[in-house]
Amino acid sequence: MSHNSEDRTLAYQLISFVFIAMLLVFFASVLVTRSIYKKIILDTQLDNMRHLAHERVYLLDGIMANVEALGRVSLDLMSNPQISSSTFEEHLKNVLLDNPTVHSICYVQDPEDGGRPQMLNTIRNSFIKREISGKDFLYYDWYQIPTISGKAGWIEPWFDGEGKGVLMVSYAMPMYQSGEITGVLRFDIELAYLQELLIHNASFRVGNSFLVSSTGTLISYQDPNLVMHQTLFSLAQEYDDPDLARLGYAMVNGEMGHIFVNGGSPMARSWIYYHPLKSNRWSVAIAIPERDLMASVNIILWIQTLASIIIFLVVAIILYARAVNVSKPLRTLAIAADKIGSGDFDARLPVSDKSFEISRLTDSFATMQQSLKDYIANLKTTTEEKEKIHGDVVYASEIQTNLIPSNCPHPLDIQELRAYGILEPAGDIGGDLYDYFMMDEDHFCFVIADVLGKGIVAAMAMTMVSTLLPSIAPYHKSSSELLKKLNIFLCRNNVEANFITIILGVLNLKTGELQYSNCGHVPMIIRKIDRSFIRYHETHATALGVFENLEIGSDTIRLNQGDEIILFTDGITEAMNDQEELLGTAGLEEIISRLSNPNPEETAKSILNAVHDYARGSSHKDDITILVIDYKHPGLIQDTNRA
Amino acid sequence: MSLRSKSITGIVLVTMLLLVFGTTTCKRKASDPKFQKFQGPSGTSPDSLFHIRVRPKWHPQAQFAGFYMAKKMGFYENYGLDVEMLDILPDSEAVLSIINRETDIINIDLLTALSMNRDSTVVLNIGQISQKSAVRLVGRKSRGINSVADFNGKKLGLWRYGSNLISQAFLAEQGIKMEIVPIDWSINLFTQNVVDVINVMQFNEYHQLLQAGIPEDDLFVVTMDSPGYNIPDEGLYVSPEFYAAHPAICKAFTEATMDGWTFAFTHQQEAIDEVIAQMQKAKIRANPAHQAWMLAQMQDIVLAKPDRLGILTRNDFDNALKIMRKMGSDIRGIAYEEFYPLVAQ
Repeated sequence: MSHNSEDRTLAYQLISFVFIAMLLVFFASVLVTRSIYKKIILDTQLDNMRHLAHERVYLLDGIMANVEALGRVSLDLMSNPQISSSTFEEHLKNVLLDNPTVHSICYVQDPEDGGRPQMLNTIRNSFIKREISGKDFLYYDWYQIPTISGKAGWIEPWFDGEGKGVLMVSYAMPMYQSGEITGVLRFDIELAYLQELLIHNASFRVGNSFLVSSTGTLISYQDPNLVMHQTLFSLAQEYDDPDLARLGYAMVNGEMGHIFVNGGSPMARSWIYYHPLKSNRWSVAIAIPERDLMASVNIILWIQTLASIIIFLVVAIILYARAVNVSKPLRTLAIAADKIGSGDFDARLPVSDKSFEISRLTDSFATMQQSLKDYIANLKTTTEEKEKIHGDVVYASEIQTNLIPSNCPHPLDIQELRAYGILEPAGDIGGDLYDYFMMDEDHFCFVIADVLGKGIVAAMAMTMVSTLLPSIAPYHKSSSELLKKLNIFLCRNNVEANFITIILGVLNLKTGELQYSNCGHVPMIIRKIDRSFIRYHETHATALGVFENLEIGSDTIRLNQGDEIILFTDGITEAMNDQEELLGTAGLEEIISRLSNPNPEETAKSILNAVHDYARGSSHKDDITILVIDYKHPGLIQDTNRA
Repeated sequence: MSLRSKSITGIVLVTMLLLVFGTTTCKRKASDPKFQKFQGPSGTSPDSLFHIRVRPKWHPQAQFAGFYMAKKMGFYENYGLDVEMLDILPDSEAVLSIINRETDIINIDLLTALSMNRDSTVVLNIGQISQKSAVRLVGRKSRGINSVADFNGKKLGLWRYGSNLISQAFLAEQGIKMEIVPIDWSINLFTQNVVDVINVMQFNEYHQLLQAGIPEDDLFVVTMDSPGYNIPDEGLYVSPEFYAAHPAICKAFTEATMDGWTFAFTHQQEAIDEVIAQMQKAKIRANPAHQAWMLAQMQDIVLAKPDRLGILTRNDFDNALKIMRKMGSDIRGIAYEEFYPLVAQ
């Protein structure tokens, strides 16, 4: 997954992380703030609504109580037999003129005896009295309710078609005479007057006030289309709003409290406080839409949001500037690091004291730069020395190679013999050796040896052996004598005390008699012309170069026609495959048993190839040396083994 | 409970029938030749329409939605009629206006119409809009009215004219004696607890009580749909003279009016909007929820006998006479065919 490099800059990451953190904190802050403010404002506004509702209730109750009092006084006058009808009417006239609240007064006496309702009101301070015709009034609420119940009370707003033709709110009182109801006295207030009071006459304005009657009818409301047309229950039904129905039941039951109305009605999403009137079963309500209630909260939240954005921008700019400033030496350092990586160890590192961490990093880079320079200088010197040593080693290897006899069909031009040798050092130079030479006219000496260890020291030891043996051989006729001399020489001159395993054989070319000594070396194998072979595992002493007074024995055998002497070092038997399993003597014998007709070159190469195949995949390496000598003497008698 | 479950079953059946009926009616307006079959005495031009004066029973409301929709949708014109809707009058005065030839067609209850014919035939039925009684007696359980027996000795708010005979007959048969308080239209005597029981129409005052904050489960309701009392309410009436002179006009008016009803039932919102418009025009209280309720109830009432739409059945006629005689009326023996002459056509 790849990222835009701009996305990974320090400034970008700092700002983005800060932004996310601030965003989370901001949202949490807004939610908590809104919740707290909403509760505080709601509590405050409910208090305001309560005060306002109480104010309206006191106002309406005051008006109604005044009308009720006027009514009771008038009723008392009417019931007084000493008060004439003209005096009574004069009283009512004064009531109307002195109390503009009272829109009209109506009274009816003895309707069963033909009494007609007398309607009294004033128009521009003129007193007017007229009689209502017909008998329909007998079935009006204002007449029926007081006469049937026998009690005075406020009746539901009604349309006074026989009066001014407007909606009236009436206080109707039964008139008694001798304990019998003989008529009704009615005081009217124009509904519009109360509506006007509710809407405008308030000490402070909070929300919208409305008034409902005892049946839940909207008597006063901001939308005149609903007034007297709708009840809270009809609105609840029309808008399928149970909250409105709950409000309606609470109000018509004379309860006091507040409710939140949801739904889709004209009062939707409003807080409504309601309070009953004392005069009748009406109820005043104050409604505040939640959006108005939350308006101030929303302003605060907007300000908070704006402030948060400004704070974020300021913080972002500061962070960006600082991050760019701080990361500038880092970029310079990165460029310098690239130069150092490409080999310019003298590249100049930035100097910064703006950040402790970056300063430490620069110092570390400087230390690393110096260390690299020193290391490279040392490496250069070492490499030069190594190359020089390597050159010496190569030269030594050439010398060592030259010490080994070159392969030719008949060694030393001796026709009875064929020999083939392979020396494959593990490194540039090795510690193995094979050699052959004539001790005198009849005796052919061959040797194969392995110096413990590798490298220069082993090669030097080998060189000593290969130069010493030919030089002292003419003075010794037996292999054991010769090896004793060699052992003494090695013990005295071998500084590193490397010991050497060796097989040295002396072959009498005339008799085919082979005297040999094996000092700690791997066995010699003689392969017969019939492809059988004999392994000579006897050793005649331990390895040379350790004990100066070492006793060395020997054995003598007689070679038959076509016998093939196979000599090798432990690099053959200790070859490992990829499972780290040794080839071993048994493995070598298996290889030898599969060889074709005796031929020193073929035999040596076949063995070497087989060993290579076996060791393929293995990291183990050792010097490998093979020497195969084929002896053919026509005078020898077949089938004679040992002397 | 059994009465209520019967009502529910009836409503379901009627609604299913209405769906079938309604779809055919919708198509009828555009293509049914019925709307062209009556061309009036002198063709179909506006000047040649037959002018007819109709006096509804009450102020504009969904109770008369069929009239308004028939007029608005041009059904009357299709039948060659130019209908004029007159102001309302009390039933007795409405009948008087028929006699005085100030009105051609009035809309009154069956029992009221029969009682008007007590001495001589003054009105004839030319169409029966209501097919079942919507009259109810209701009391408040919270005021101790939990059975018909609880009515005894209580005050009953009963219409001073109109559909009051069924309630009286019912109470008489139940042996209930109540103090009758004659009322006009107000429910306030009941909501103010001045009367204990009130006579209401299911489609009107009953719902007004609910809209006045009386919980439905607080109402004890007596439904007049038991055998013998289920007398259909309003019908269309003319004077015998008018009928004799214009029988085809009478039949056309009834058919157009019932087309108006079926249209109203299948286009309820349109009908309610028209009713509200009529109410606002008359400057009276307009309450959409109440009008929707009323129209739904009228659907139940008008379609109570779907195969007898607009027809006064002999059974209802006979039951009405029985009720009147049971109440001691000395109504003369008017024949069904005489009272409802359209049955012969």
